[in-house]
Amino acid sequence: MPDSYPEDNKRRLGKINRNFFLHIHANKVHPHSLKPGYTFGLGVILGFLFVIMILTGVMLMMNYTPSVERAYNSVKDIMFVVPGGRYIRNIHRWAAHSMVLISFLHLIRVFYTGGYLKGRRLNWIFGVVILFLVMFMNFSGYLLPWDQLAFWAVTIGSNIAASFRELTDILGITQVIDIGGFIKRLLIGDDNVGQAALSRFFMLHVVFLPVTLMVLTGLHFWRIRKDGGISRPETQSEGSENKSVRAERTSKYFSWPLVMWAELAILLLCASALLVMAFLFDAPLREEANPAFPENPAKSPWYFLGIQELVSYSAFAGGVIIPVLFLVFLISIPYVDREDEYIGIWFSSPKGLRITWQSIAFTFFVTIALIFIIIRYGWLNTWFPDIPRVLVMLINPATLSAFFYVIWAKWIQRNTGSSRMETTALFTCTITAFIIFTVIGIWFRGPNWEFYWSNAQWPVF
Amino acid sequence: MTDQNETGHTRRDFIKRFSVWAAVSAGILASISLLRQFVPRISRYQKRFKIGRKNNYPVNTFTYLADKQLFVYRDHEGIRAVSAVCTHLGCIIEKSDDGFQCPCHGSCYSEEGEVLSGAATKDLPWYELQKDVDGQIVVDQSRLVDPERKLYI
Repeated sequence: MPDSYPEDNKRRLGKINRNFFLHIHANKVHPHSLKPGYTFGLGVILGFLFVIMILTGVMLMMNYTPSVERAYNSVKDIMFVVPGGRYIRNIHRWAAHSMVLISFLHLIRVFYTGGYLKGRRLNWIFGVVILFLVMFMNFSGYLLPWDQLAFWAVTIGSNIAASFRELTDILGITQVIDIGGFIKRLLIGDDNVGQAALSRFFMLHVVFLPVTLMVLTGLHFWRIRKDGGISRPETQSEGSENKSVRAERTSKYFSWPLVMWAELAILLLCASALLVMAFLFDAPLREEANPAFPENPAKSPWYFLGIQELVSYSAFAGGVIIPVLFLVFLISIPYVDREDEYIGIWFSSPKGLRITWQSIAFTFFVTIALIFIIIRYGWLNTWFPDIPRVLVMLINPATLSAFFYVIWAKWIQRNTGSSRMETTALFTCTITAFIIFTVIGIWFRGPNWEFYWSNAQWPVF
Repeated sequence: MTDQNETGHTRRDFIKRFSVWAAVSAGILASISLLRQFVPRISRYQKRFKIGRKNNYPVNTFTYLADKQLFVYRDHEGIRAVSAVCTHLGCIIEKSDDGFQCPCHGSCYSEEGEVLSGAATKDLPWYELQKDVDGQIVVDQSRLVDPERKLYI
């Protein structure tokens, strides 16, 4: 086939330009964008995972029934009757978990390389919205099997939305405007999780969120092209504008076939990893949902256990205030930090790397000290039983550690005079704390959400 | 002849602006009525129900009624009923040695339903009990009472 591997440049351009699906690529890419150690291919992996999610999701949908009576048994049918159904469900499950993990890694990669600088502000915000949509996608997905995990996770989730009542109760206006109850009813369509919740979550999971995600992914990709490709350091030869532009043009690679090979390699790697995972590990399915008895401990999937640890201090502070502050912080990053010279450099500079390590150490010290205090000695309401509950809502390990991180970041900002260092410190603190809380939730919490060094020590009921 | 008045606006300007505003406000009003479809209209649940006779309940014990999510406590003098739904995030609490404990996030309550520790902010509600003519006990979830208030039997 003479046309399959075009030798001259005109044909190489045509390969990309004339194909609707390949047209998403630029004709030429900068060599820096192809460095595996810069992007790790995370964005491309996410794109492929999303495609895999849609394909496996459509297959699952054919045999799934979104009704309270049938949902659990139809998932059982998928697992034990439908040929290959278990395998498809496993792939769907592990691709979903990988999407959460890799979305976070992608966020971390883009942050530490300053990928939001130089006009990439809007795309960073798209990315943050996509991250939260992926989380919500997972949340809506795990109600569908209608097992114990599903039922109690969504009961807890919808009551977190209703925890606005803690705030309105303090103001004494719950009778007048019940924001919490309104959001909860909007989410699950009822006062308790039931058929209305299942219908709504099914609609969200298979129509609303995927379509929104597709549109946003399209915008995300389109902005990369508009912003001149993946972020990279400024070229050294700033001397004459024309010369450097010309030099850059000639040093760029043709997308065909180089980018194609790279993407094919990533796709194959992704697919084979998922196939092996799905072969080795089954997606869990618990007992059928039972509104009378929760499991003990009732643990959500691993990526929400950090939040579950936070809400065990205070529902409103841990479930609403802290996540909203985190979202606001993420969106505000490109507006706080405009030091364009750091774009495309891992950790900005050796100083940035040092501040990152210091922030990790600081977070370990502060957060683990606070967790130690609450586990070993209790908190305000155990020391002073008559204390107003609002104080526990405002002062608990979650809010206190967030407060200390902000102080730390402000202190860094004062010492270095750099907003880039300030955001680096705060971002590192929040991500490290999120990991710490998640680890505590996964491995160190047992029945009744009590602390155990290992689950070998869990009491037998 | 000109349609322009002294402020420089033409009749055409007015019609343009008027029609744009009319279209926008009609759109907003229409979408408000459509958006109301997303807000569920919940029919009232039956808040009063029977839980059988007093002899169903052993003395000096908390009995869990799974379908009503309720603990019923009976002693020699009378009978009381407390909600089994944790006021923190809605899990079902369990009876512990000296009160109640939530399996989800570890809130602890006393046997009177008072929050002892954990993230719960409200005490457990106790419901008013009445005796029906057929001798069965009726729980009224719309009426809250003090923890000490018993239905004397």
